[in-house]
Amino acid sequence: MSSSLDKILSNPRVWRGRDQAGQQAGLASGYPELDRHLPGGGWPRESLTEILTEHYGIGELRLLMPALARLSTETSPQDFSEPGWIAWIAPPFQPYPPALQQYGIDLSRMLIVRPREASEVLWSAEQALSSGTCAAVLLWPSILDDQSSRRLQLAAEKGRSWAIAFRPLAARRQPSAAALRLELHPEGTQHSGERGVRVHILKSRGGRPTVLNSLI
Amino acid sequence: MGRDAAPTPPAVQQDLPFVEPMPPVEGSSSVPLPRTPEKLWFCVWLPHLPLESAGGDSNGVPTAIVEEQHGIHRVLLADTQARAAGVMPGQAANAALALLPTLQLEERSQLREQQALEGLAGWLERFSSFISIAGHDVLLLEIAGSLRLFGGLQELREKISKGLRGLGFTGALAIAPTPLAATWMACAGRRACIRDEANLAATLRKLPLACTGWPANLCEALASMGVTTVGACLRLPREGFTRRFGAEYLLQLDRALGHLPDPRNSWRAPERFCADYEMTEEQTDRELLLNICRELLLSHEQFLLARQLGTQRVRFSFFHLKGAATELRLGCARAERSAGRWCELLGIRFEQLTLPEPVIAVRLRSGMAQPLQAESAVLGFDGKPGAQERRFSITQLAERLIARIGDQSVLAASMVAEHRPDYAWRTQSLLADWSGTTLDEPAKYVQRPLWMLPEPALLPADSGYPVHQGCRLRLIDGPERLETGWWDEDGISRDYYTAAGTDGRRLWVFRNRNRASSWYLHGYFG
Repeated sequence: MSSSLDKILSNPRVWRGRDQAGQQAGLASGYPELDRHLPGGGWPRESLTEILTEHYGIGELRLLMPALARLSTETSPQDFSEPGWIAWIAPPFQPYPPALQQYGIDLSRMLIVRPREASEVLWSAEQALSSGTCAAVLLWPSILDDQSSRRLQLAAEKGRSWAIAFRPLAARRQPSAAALRLELHPEGTQHSGERGVRVHILKSRGGRPTVLNSLI
Repeated sequence: MGRDAAPTPPAVQQDLPFVEPMPPVEGSSSVPLPRTPEKLWFCVWLPHLPLESAGGDSNGVPTAIVEEQHGIHRVLLADTQARAAGVMPGQAANAALALLPTLQLEERSQLREQQALEGLAGWLERFSSFISIAGHDVLLLEIAGSLRLFGGLQELREKISKGLRGLGFTGALAIAPTPLAATWMACAGRRACIRDEANLAATLRKLPLACTGWPANLCEALASMGVTTVGACLRLPREGFTRRFGAEYLLQLDRALGHLPDPRNSWRAPERFCADYEMTEEQTDRELLLNICRELLLSHEQFLLARQLGTQRVRFSFFHLKGAATELRLGCARAERSAGRWCELLGIRFEQLTLPEPVIAVRLRSGMAQPLQAESAVLGFDGKPGAQERRFSITQLAERLIARIGDQSVLAASMVAEHRPDYAWRTQSLLADWSGTTLDEPAKYVQRPLWMLPEPALLPADSGYPVHQGCRLRLIDGPERLETGWWDEDGISRDYYTAAGTDGRRLWVFRNRNRASSWYLHGYFG
């Protein structure tokens, strides 16, 4: 009996709420409230995460910094291999090394790739993801259609790497294969002096859409 | 250069010092001098080099090599098909053509022979560390040190002989303790293999004088005296021989017997690989060109393998009949020789290469050869399903990326101890040795922005406050005064502030103190 029940439960089309079967542990984001709302208790490793913002520079990097810092310095608990690399593909500005170091990122394991053409962004990201040497791949694609996002998702699974695509807010209506889609909105007015960011979980595989106020 | 030093002797010198003590030439009681370390010479004589360097039997067309002698072209060598039709060495070219109208005549080219010989010497370097080019068609290897590695004399001989055949060359091989004896025996066509110097004299004595390569008039003079073998020559009185024919030939006899040392020049292959592949007609087929490149890379690998070297860069040149050659450069993060790795990189780049015209020849040139750094493999604890499998290392990833999008687009970042924000970091190409970047103690006192603009952007000002996107910015932190760098051209004097924009962004702005206090945007806090 139990074997046939297992068979049904292991079918990916059977949705079982938050404690999904085969859910792997997430990567702690450093923000306990966010972790509580993410399945697996953190960022989904080995899959594609999309972060949608109106402008770059509203806090999307700060949101990732604790997790990236851990990835770049911690050795893997499974096989004690060296920490993985963090690849930045087509960043809109220069990621500033002194600030990254302040957040605890090991600069010697950072790779910045600046492709000249849009198609090369996706190609580079796919290469980096599937290589198995990059713990995280951050990319700023100018376009990312459903098919490309699926390819990135597959490459991330293959290389056991975390892909993070940064996209404009307009992309929210496009379908995407990403395991997690977040929308970031700055909070507070210019004069209130607050510095919060509202995080809207649009899609979360195995989780529920929700809105988190004043997360960072 | 010494490439042609022996066996063709230089001008005869009369005043050579006579070597004492000289063992008696007469009889077989020659006492070998104690020699350390023991040497063994392997001679490869290539009697058909002029023909084989021109393609020889392999091209399927009857071919003969002709050489001009006294104004008449005469056949020097003919291949199997031509010989079957009766073409003989020494025939006039016209006579040969009359016998076989389809005969293809090739002018003898010393340059081509020299290139083929050097190519063979390069190939032979895998068998010995000491190769000497001892004439226009003779190669010598010192093999005493190689015997153990290659599993004995017979094995080594077999390997070399098989390899030569595979390369399309006919070689006469001989092994002897002295280089000259080995050469003579090879030229005499004796498949001799003498390891012990004690057995050398007996074999040498039987050799005809023709194999010594001495001038024809000398051989004739000796023959008229009834001296036709080396042994007969050795029986002649030494003083009389020196007086009549010169000391040089006596010295050669002594060297061949091992009574005198016979130092040779070692030939070294060039450390840079350069090979051409020429086609008979122009080609546009990219698949074919790619295969040619692969073939070149394979010989490149062999070249580097023999030297235990690798290279970081290779360059392909595709030559066109008209116009400049198209170049394709490939780079590796580490010295690499494996043809497989280079082919992988080539495949990525070749896709994008545009060839303006058909290609007539391809050249591969390698960069500076470097000692290969051995990479230690990871000890895998297999059998665990969760074990991480790395498809390729970061260097391989970087090479792939660089191959497609260029060297300047794949960068590593590091810190520089410097207060000026623009100089506090640098990026370097991943092909450089980037492992030297160290993690300095991060500065904790002031927060730096995560995003930096490539160049500070001028902001308009409104009553002394900076304006960004049409809205006055509110300064919420600062100033942080940075006034430094007076010692060079780019000294700065700035007050940095953190400003809040209307769109929720935190901006890093500064005011220049030394000029008309203009505002600049330098980064976002991300």
